[in-house]
Amino acid sequence: MPVRSLQRRIVFVFVGLLALVMALILLLVTGSNERIVVAETQSELAAGSRVFTLLIDQNRRQLETAATVLAADFAFREAIATQDRPTMRSVIRNHGLRIGAQVMMVISPEGQLIAETQPEFREPRRFPFPDLLSAAVSEGKSNGFREMADGTLHQFVLVPILAPKLIAWVAMGFQVDDPWARGLSEMTGLAVSVIRRGGAEPHVLASSFDASRRGALADALRQFPQDIPPALSIGGEHYQTVQLPLGQGASAVLQRSIEQAQAPFQTLQRVLWAIVLVGTAVFAVGSVMLARRIVRPVNELAEAARRIEAGDYAEPVPILPPDEIGHLAMSFDRMREKVASREQKILKLAYEDTLTGLPNRTRFLETFDQLPPSGQGAVVVLNLDRFALINSALGHLVGDRLLNAISPRFRPVLPADGLVARLWGDEFVFLLPGAERSSATQFGNAVLAILQEPVTLDGQRLDVGGSLGIALYPGDGVAGVTLLQRAQSAMYTAKRRQSGVAFASEMGAPPAHEQLSLIGEMREALVRNEFLLYYQPKLDLHSQKIVAAEALIRWRHPQRGLVPPLQFIPFAEQTGFIREITPWVLETVAAQTMQWRKDGLCIVPSINFSARDLLNPGLVEHMRGVLASYGLPADGLCIEITESALMEDPELALTHLCALAELGVKLSIDDYGVGQSSLAYLKTLPVHELKIDQTFVRSIADSPKNAAIVRSTISLCHELGLTVVAEGVETAEDLDWLVRNACDTAQGYGLARPMPAQDLPAWIAAYRAKTGAVS
Amino acid sequence: MSRFRAAGLAASLVLCGAAQGASVGVLVSSPSGVPVKDSAVVIEPLVNSAVGHRAVASIVQEDREFLPYVTIVQTGTTVNFPNHDPIKHHVYSFSSAKTFEIKLNAGKSAQSIVFDKPGEVAIGCNVHDWMEAYVLVVDSPYFARTGNNGRATIANVPPGRYRLKLWHPRQISAPPVRELVVTAASAKLELTLDVAPRTVKPKPPTDADRY
Repeated sequence: MPVRSLQRRIVFVFVGLLALVMALILLLVTGSNERIVVAETQSELAAGSRVFTLLIDQNRRQLETAATVLAADFAFREAIATQDRPTMRSVIRNHGLRIGAQVMMVISPEGQLIAETQPEFREPRRFPFPDLLSAAVSEGKSNGFREMADGTLHQFVLVPILAPKLIAWVAMGFQVDDPWARGLSEMTGLAVSVIRRGGAEPHVLASSFDASRRGALADALRQFPQDIPPALSIGGEHYQTVQLPLGQGASAVLQRSIEQAQAPFQTLQRVLWAIVLVGTAVFAVGSVMLARRIVRPVNELAEAARRIEAGDYAEPVPILPPDEIGHLAMSFDRMREKVASREQKILKLAYEDTLTGLPNRTRFLETFDQLPPSGQGAVVVLNLDRFALINSALGHLVGDRLLNAISPRFRPVLPADGLVARLWGDEFVFLLPGAERSSATQFGNAVLAILQEPVTLDGQRLDVGGSLGIALYPGDGVAGVTLLQRAQSAMYTAKRRQSGVAFASEMGAPPAHEQLSLIGEMREALVRNEFLLYYQPKLDLHSQKIVAAEALIRWRHPQRGLVPPLQFIPFAEQTGFIREITPWVLETVAAQTMQWRKDGLCIVPSINFSARDLLNPGLVEHMRGVLASYGLPADGLCIEITESALMEDPELALTHLCALAELGVKLSIDDYGVGQSSLAYLKTLPVHELKIDQTFVRSIADSPKNAAIVRSTISLCHELGLTVVAEGVETAEDLDWLVRNACDTAQGYGLARPMPAQDLPAWIAAYRAKTGAVS
Repeated sequence: MSRFRAAGLAASLVLCGAAQGASVGVLVSSPSGVPVKDSAVVIEPLVNSAVGHRAVASIVQEDREFLPYVTIVQTGTTVNFPNHDPIKHHVYSFSSAKTFEIKLNAGKSAQSIVFDKPGEVAIGCNVHDWMEAYVLVVDSPYFARTGNNGRATIANVPPGRYRLKLWHPRQISAPPVRELVVTAASAKLELTLDVAPRTVKPKPPTDADRY
């Protein structure tokens, strides 16, 4: 629409300006034409009047000359002197014919007519114009326009006949008639009429007009009884009029037709109009074409801009003629190329992992969102085993090269519509649209098989394994983020269990929205004292005494009742809220221990530290402060750390561990066997105790394989100077086996479930009584 | 009116002179007192006993003019028209007292005309319109023409009764004729006459004729 208006604007401005200029010219020409016509008419009329007067005077002089010549004719004079009237009449007739005078008279000095050309007069009479005669007597000659008895007007001259004394007068008259008027009209260029005012009716005596105009002039005379106005309309034509008196009530009316004066200008004006109209039309067509030529490339540019706006960078901007717009189009095309390449770069940065070139988490989530909402499939999270170890032992460069070496291996096992992305560090995610539990498991096993093939870097053979968590949709969730989280949780479980693959559906994790509300609730719980600690006794297998207990956090939720730790601890670790919980645990445990000691019960409690706790730079100082404030000896407290907590930042973790060890606190490795660390590695840590994971301990009496692992671990630990705790002891047989195999400490449901602090002294007393009875 | 009074005054005079003849002096002036030249003063005897002294008069054509302008002759006098110009003249008169026509070759003293009837004769030249001359033919030998000073003298007029006539070619009206008694003594008369001024007709310079 704006494009059309630009075109229209160009045309309007061009044609409008032209029309304005043309209109001004027309106005000017028309205005000056009218002025010129009026001035021209007036000057023509003035000039014509002068010519008319001159011609009349010339006529008079010619007449006079002719009369004078006649008066000098000897024979004529002789005839007059001898009163020879027939001769006289004959002479004046002849003379009249010769010079074209209609009336000729010979008058005696006394005023009597002696001879005349008119028909034979019946009785002697006097000259009819005595005023002319008396003027001639005093002036020598006279002239004037006089009307004859028959109504005809004549121009008369009267000259004396001398012999040499005055013997008579001769009068000659030229009739003022239409041919006379036409002759004068031709010479003056004006319409010439002679009118007579005196008498009842004004009368047109002679005129160069045709009959109809002559009649119209007579009408106008009747209409204006006094004077004819200067502008007079006769027969539809307009005349500038001048009236010249001829005497005796007669006057000459000289007229100039305004229309005739206008005629050449009107032709000019018509030509000008034609030029204006044709010119404007040609100009309009031309400017429309020009505007189109201007606007068409602009349209094409706009079209190209719309394509680029829509993200279509493929089609180049059309090549236009090399004018300003053409240059713009070229710049535009370069811009398109630059934008396209930059967008590709940005997309790459946004959607691609810079290290491996694989899609990143964002790309993964977007791809997931683009899947048909009704479909099913699997989200598989892979975390490499022992990668942190390699990274810390051999350096980040080797770690990066390892990731680069591994990542291309996934593609062959991935289905065609599948996707692999690197989430961060050593964690990958696979999207398997259409997969179900069995095919997902199959895929997981294929990935594990790939990882079992060793990687050789710089001649060094590196063994990597992996743990996989699988979330199935729509069963485990429909949002990409949820599925990713659940798959990650499952992956951690798989890692803990060293089972290779775990399914999110087995985790029973709370729905995402529950987790979100947890942060606020946990904060409130801490204030309201809703958290509490349970203690699970540890049995010293050598002395058969309860010497220690693991402090386990519980949440007594006002609505939900007792919340299991698995439902909020991972979340607290994830969000960092654990750093507020751990100090509380530490102080509560310290206070409880001192209380038990006062009561004569010497128990070494153990506290679980998460990775975040271990990386907290104020950890050691805080620990020192708590121990000092409660007066608790450092060796009266044990800190349990999982292998994975150590792996997040092994160097810092090791520094903190060393400081804690220096403080004198007892350190224990929790969940041993789930991770990938070897005993050789653990030996380098300043730890005192190893807790074998319950997956190995459970039904140890029945499983020779588990028994072998546990047995060798115990002996190895002892060799390395570590005490061994067996977790998850459930039966008396297990307990017996552990005693037989020189395990140091046992913990599990078989011995005692975790219990509130106040129940522990009574339980110990009861156990002592029971065992004492047994032993 | 004034001129009649002047004339009446003159008419009452009785002139006395010698037996041989008296001379009559006349002063003609216009009513405004300007002397009138070329007036003809004629004394006619009441009884026709006049003695003819028929002299020959001449009207010369010289430098394309008639000279003199006014000529007074007694009836029967012959007048010559000598042409002193190198060109032709065509002298004519249509006056009833004498109608004639003479074609005069250059330098010729042409035929003479006898003016045998009393009256005024206007003479013109058909070739030159400005040329004019007048001849007054009278039945008396006693006449004279006023000069530039308006005076004229008629000599040797025998005593007796006469008619006094005054005439001028351009007189506006004919003055009345009076009686005059001439005695032996000389008489002086003062007369009044109103004349129109002479119309000067255009006369081309002489050179023009050569071409």
